[in-house]
Order: sequence, then C-alpha cells, then structure tokens
Amino acid sequence: MSPARFRRTPPEPGPVAPFAVPGVHAASLASGLEVRTARRPGVPLVTALLVMDAGEATVDGPQAGLAVLAARALHGGTVRRSAVELACALEDMGTHLATSTGWDSTVVSLTCAADRFSSALRLLSEVVLTPGYPGEEVERTREQQLGGIRQRRVYPAQLATAAAAHFFFADGTTYGRPMAGTERTVAGLERTHVAAFAGSRYMPRGAALVVAGDVTEAEVTDLATECFGGWRGRAAPVEATAGPRFGERRIVIVHRPGAVQSELRIGHASVPRATPDFFPLIVLNSVLGGAFTSRLNLNLREDKGFTYGVSSRFLLRRAGGMFRIATAVATEVTAAAVREVLAETKALVADGPTPAEVRGARDYLAGIFPLRMEATAQVASGIARAFVHGLPANYHARYRERVRGVTVDDVARAARRRLHPDALTVVVAGDADRVAPELESLGPVEVHHDF
Amino acid sequence: MISIPCEEHRLENGLRIVLSPEPSVPIVAVNLWYDVGSRNEGRGQTGLAHLFEHMMFQGSRHVAGNQHFELLEGVGGSANASTWFDRTNYYETLPAHHLELALWLEADRMGWMLPALTAEKLENQRDVVKNERRQRYDNQPYGDWDERMLAMVYPPGHPYRHPVIGSLEDIDGFALADLESFFRAYYAPDNAVLTLCGGFESRRALEWIRRYFGDIPPGAGARMIPGDTDAERENPVDPGQTVEAEVPLARVYAGMRVPTFDDPAFYAADVAGDILGRGRASRLHRSLVLERRLAKDVAAHVFPLMTGAAMMVVQATGNLGIDPGELAAAVVEQIDALSSVSSREVARAVAMAETAILGQLEVVARRADLLSMFATQFGDPGRISTELDRLRAVTPAAVETLAGERLGPENRAILTYVPRASA
Repeated sequence: MSPARFRRTPPEPGPVAPFAVPGVHAASLASGLEVRTARRPGVPLVTALLVMDAGEATVDGPQAGLAVLAARALHGGTVRRSAVELACALEDMGTHLATSTGWDSTVVSLTCAADRFSSALRLLSEVVLTPGYPGEEVERTREQQLGGIRQRRVYPAQLATAAAAHFFFADGTTYGRPMAGTERTVAGLERTHVAAFAGSRYMPRGAALVVAGDVTEAEVTDLATECFGGWRGRAAPVEATAGPRFGERRIVIVHRPGAVQSELRIGHASVPRATPDFFPLIVLNSVLGGAFTSRLNLNLREDKGFTYGVSSRFLLRRAGGMFRIATAVATEVTAAAVREVLAETKALVADGPTPAEVRGARDYLAGIFPLRMEATAQVASGIARAFVHGLPANYHARYRERVRGVTVDDVARAARRRLHPDALTVVVAGDADRVAPELESLGPVEVHHDF
Repeated sequence: MISIPCEEHRLENGLRIVLSPEPSVPIVAVNLWYDVGSRNEGRGQTGLAHLFEHMMFQGSRHVAGNQHFELLEGVGGSANASTWFDRTNYYETLPAHHLELALWLEADRMGWMLPALTAEKLENQRDVVKNERRQRYDNQPYGDWDERMLAMVYPPGHPYRHPVIGSLEDIDGFALADLESFFRAYYAPDNAVLTLCGGFESRRALEWIRRYFGDIPPGAGARMIPGDTDAERENPVDPGQTVEAEVPLARVYAGMRVPTFDDPAFYAADVAGDILGRGRASRLHRSLVLERRLAKDVAAHVFPLMTGAAMMVVQATGNLGIDPGELAAAVVEQIDALSSVSSREVARAVAMAETAILGQLEVVARRADLLSMFATQFGDPGRISTELDRLRAVTPAAVETLAGERLGPENRAILTYVPRASA
C-alpha cells in the first residue's frame, strides 16, 4: 500500500484558539494580608493557599530545619483540636492540609469541593492562627525529620542534590545549607523554638491568601475577613546569603561504593529571581536542557544512550540562585557524560543558539503555558510564586508576550553573562574507585567518603 | 458529580474513538490506549512491551528520528507514554489549533512504524531503558520491592509475576524480529482506543481521524496473555521474606490479592485500602505513626489490575531504631482489624476519593486517559461519570466481607527491609 500524499508532511495548524490567562483579583485586609483570587468556574473545586514569609532562609544557621519543622508540626493540632481530631475534621470533608517550606516561604494549602470551601478555610485559619504544638507532637515530627535526613544519604538523587547545594555555595551561606537542617541542628530544636518561630513569622503583613477555583471574589473577601480579619503582626525582613564556593572548575565525588550509576549535578551559583535576564534565561535553559529536544537530552540520551534523561534548570530565589544540570548515567560512562555536558555548555556560550532553536524554545514555552494553568492547584501555586517574588497580581497576563519578545541576541548575551563553563562545579554521587581516574583529566577532583 | 460529555465511534478497521469536546477550552488532549502491556510478554520476553514503547518515539515512515518531540514541543505541546501491566498509553497535550498534528503523528506510527525501525535505534533505546532500570530499581533503596512483591503474590506462570521494566538479561536479548512481531500483533487499530478531550469540534475531528487512521489495516498476529491467569486460585502467596539492605530505616510491605478492577467487589477493596492507609486519619497513620510512633510514614494502595487478581499493597517505613518485626506485626494487626469498620470511615474514604476524582477531571490529559481506560477495559467510557457512584455504594459490611475473604494470612505476603548493621 502506498501512503497518501497528505502523510508526507505535517498538517498546518488551524486558527489560534484564544487563551484567557486567569484574571487575578487582588485586595488587602486591614492587617496587611493580601488576598489574590482567580475565579475558575467549571470543575467544582477550590484551592486555598496561605503563603507566608516564613521560609527556611529566615532561620539562623544553628537552627537550620526550624522553618520546615514548624510547618510540619502544624499537623499536630490546634489549641482546640488534637492531631487526630484535626485530621478527621479535614478528611471528613474530603480534604487534607498540605504544608511545604522552601527557602523563601512556607505554604499551607488545601484543595476541596467547592461546597465545602468555607468550612475548610475556617479550619486552615484555625491551624495557622492557633497552632497547638503539643510537646509530644513536636517531638514526634522532629524524629520523622531526623529519619528523613538519615534516609537522604541512601537515595542517590537526593544525596547528589544536597551535595550540589553544599558545593555550589560558600561555607556559611544560607543556600549552601541543607533545607531541612542537619542531624545536629534538628536534634537541638524544641517545642519552644517552634512556637517562637510561628509566633514571629506566621504573620499577615508580608503574607497572602491565594484562592483559585469555583468561587467568587466577593465570597473570598468575606470569608478571608471572617477567618483572618483579627490576625495582626509583621514578620521582620531577613536577608539570605548566596555567594559561590569555587571560582574555577572543581569535580567533587561523593563516594558510593558499588554504585551502578553516577548521579551528576553540574552547575554553579547564579542570580536572584529579580534579574532582568529572567526571560532570556528561561529561553536559554529550554535550548540547553529544559525540554526533551534540548541539546543535552538529544546528545546524552537520544544519541549516546548514556542516561534515561537529563535536564537543566535555573533555580532562582530571592537572594540568589543556582544553575544546575541533573542526570543519572551508567557508572562506566561517567567521565564521557561529564565531558559532553561541559562541551555542550561551552559551545552554547561560545557560539550562542541558532535562530531556529530560539524560535522553537519561545514557541514551546509560550504554548505550554496554558497546559500549566489547568488545575486550580496549578493556578494558585503560580499566583503564590509571583507574590513571593514581589511580582504584581496580573503578572501572568503578560508572560507569553514577554517570552515571545526574547531575541537570539538576548539569549546569546544571557549565555555569556550567566553561564560559566570554566567555573562549573561537577558533583558526582557514585563509585569513586571506578570514576575518579578518568574524571581527573577534566579538572581537580576531590573525593568525600562521608558526606 | 459533574457529567463528562462523551461520544463513541468506531472505524471499519476496528479503531474505537471517544470524543469529549469542550470547544471553549484552548488546549486539547490526544490519548491512545493500546490493549497490550507486560501481561502479554512470554517467557524470556520481560520488558518487551516497555522497550517497544520507547521505540515508538524513534520515528516512523514520514516522521524522522526525533521529529515527534521536535514538532510537538515546537508548537508548545507535551508528549509522553507509559507501559503498565495491562496496557500501553501514548498521549499529547497541545494548543487546540494543533490537534491535527498530533493525529498525523499518532497515525503514522500506528500504520508505518516498522519501515523506520533500525538496529541502531534499538541499541540506543536498549541503553536508555537499561539506565531507566538502574535509576528506578538497581541504584535505589527499596528499589526492587515490586519485583520481589510481585513474585511473592503471583504464582509461577502468572502474567503479573514480573515487573513492567523487565530483567536486564531479557532486555539485552531482544532482536529487531521480536519488535516486529510484537508490533504486528498489538499495534493495530482494532487493538486501540483513541480519545480526544478538550477544545475541538466533533465533526471536524472525526473527519481528520478517518483521514489519518482510516486506511490502517487491522492487526495480523496472535494476541495472547501467556501463562495461567487462574493460577492464584490454587496457589497461596509466599508468606514472608526479609531483606537486609543499605538503608537506615526499616520498611514493611504487605501485598494481598484482591478482586480485579472489573469485579464489583474491587470498590470494597479500594475503600479498605483508603481506610487503612490514605491520609492522617487513616488507621495505620493513627496507630503506627501517631500513637505507637513505630512508623515515619504509611501508605496503602490498590492496583486496578484486570487479569486474575488485582493487588493491594500496604507500606510502612519505620522510625530510626525500631524493631522491624514489631513494625510488621503492627501492620498485620491493622489489616486484621478491618474485620470491623464504621460507616464514618467509609464515608470519609468516599469524600477523599470524590475530591481526588474531581482533581483528575480538571486536567484534560487525565480526563482523556480515564476515558480511554474505561473504553478499553470496560467497553464504556461513560463510566467516568458514574465511577463515584460505585464507591458510594460500598457499605461497611462489604469492606468487612472483603477483608475476611481476601486480606487474611493465607493471602498475605510480607516483605521486610531490615537495615544492615553498617547502614
């Protein structure tokens, strides 16, 4: 059978369907709490998310892990309810509370059926405004956190990621610490520390309530006033630190005897989220390692078969960021894979991207945006991230336009300014006995037996 | 519960089509289920269905090597696939005005994948898949749990006895001829369901589907589920296994054979799993995590499998220094205690499931996948709108009966990971 002519070339697109970025309504309560609402009729669900200036970066080094512990220990109950009573009250409504802590914020959130939203939000506010922090619950949560820290060492991907943060940033910097703390710092955390942290950081000024879903702005404002109207206070600003550890290439091996794969993290410290290069950087990243058809993946996976996948990211935070390439490769091709990553990075800086690559990356990022704004939880998280970085409520309305405005020159310039091939730190979690000799040809190697 | 629009069609070559249009949505999901998975692999063929899935992205007669991803990412789309015991799915989500592109790509590989298949591509993806196996199993703490558990729960000869990823030995052994005969048997319009969900207009979409898929011939080759799917009726599970591993925390898995997804009793098993281990109000969390402080985290899950028996898996990770034997005994105690459940617990499980189902329906790609699943496995995509009713019909007595018949010691495999002294 001879295939028909229409099979030979891809079909042309039809007329563009309009995509309305979810409109965000912003208001603030007298307490300073900002309320951002995106109405999304359709599926009867609502996500509510309270984002507070209580990230791990606000904690002093000797208490590292405290912000994480304080958020997790919120599950321990309120002054009115035990842990079990709280869990039952939430789950009887078909919802559960999620807490998450990053460097720049702590987020407490839930997603529930629209007709249960008011009861669910009342519970969320009860948890944050009147946490019980019973001693035995704080202690139990701390024990879990310690278990997680111990466990992190045996998961090669987690180990490599933690080692990358440590070796990309200088000693004593905020971002060089492990996010959930160390065994030593966490062991010293008591109920009093947790309660004091919440008492000083869980504050309305500097925080936002973000609601997305099948609910009106008026309903949200009324309910926010009811639930959070009496909340008062301000969290004092804290500045994080983020200087680099090395100024030239280093190869650091975290020894895992007998490992059949090497987990690689290759990168360096980078700029804060507020950089004017933000849009050129995300296009640059897409060309290098942000998509399936990026240079790194086509080379390491689809050409060489070294890995199941490789990706790169700029992780940009308030006080600084990092650029990081991540992959896991078979032990025997570790040095070959590192060599390819270094060469790809160097080539992109030296020669810049092609116009076709930049066009493809822009179209990819602009086109994929609506796919990342489908679920209420996705919409709410996007609005919260914008809030954390001081971006306006309608930030996403212009996102695609700004991506499309990035030029080939912008990307080439961003590559020269923000990628430093000769100062990449190469972190390898793998079998040092097998990978070190060949890696030595690529730069100075240090081996850590006990990271 | 919301009602999902859905219409069904069938082409002459046997391709089943499910359309769920919502013309106001700016994106569209294309989802294709092939009725083939690891259960169709014979002896020495473990991992074939999954390796084959990788090869489907290596081009077809009119689509060059990496062009599938290049074209889709170039228009702002995302694409992927996954292989499971009972099925293999392929999916794209993309801006609605590019729908025709996704249909063109899927049709080309359904009809003309073999002309583009080469030994070089096979070698490349064999290496990629071996790295996937190393990353997920061999270089991962507790990474071999499902490989061990499947072999304990399902008797020799049962098609679920091996994991989807397959063994390195089998993956190393595949030749082009194995892929070709696999394609001829299973990758055919009469063994597939194509679902479209999101921003399109039905009449137009059907014209495109007829155009691109209409002249692909039905499959040629025997389809089979090798082995003995009834084997579990006579064979008890392997009751227990203990593994020393380089892990700091002990972990216990309990595996039990439960009714298949198409058995009405499946929903009682699903609710039983939720009562045991879903959420902080669940029994395992309350008892093992909060009250006794034995466990750091717990979970329970029922795999919705179709052949012979599905599987419930309960998992508990111990706190530092606890006695793994005590942890295992505590898990078993909670499973046994399902001989009595309250209506409040059942209602809570249903409420949690309701929110979870709504969460899936929010996303066109998930909605399309569910429609394909119900069409492939039940012949009725409309089940998507009534699934919650089946959960709501579960009574405490049904859960107690299920527990008595299926979760007892004679049908229970316990796998315990014990930290090696040096870890």
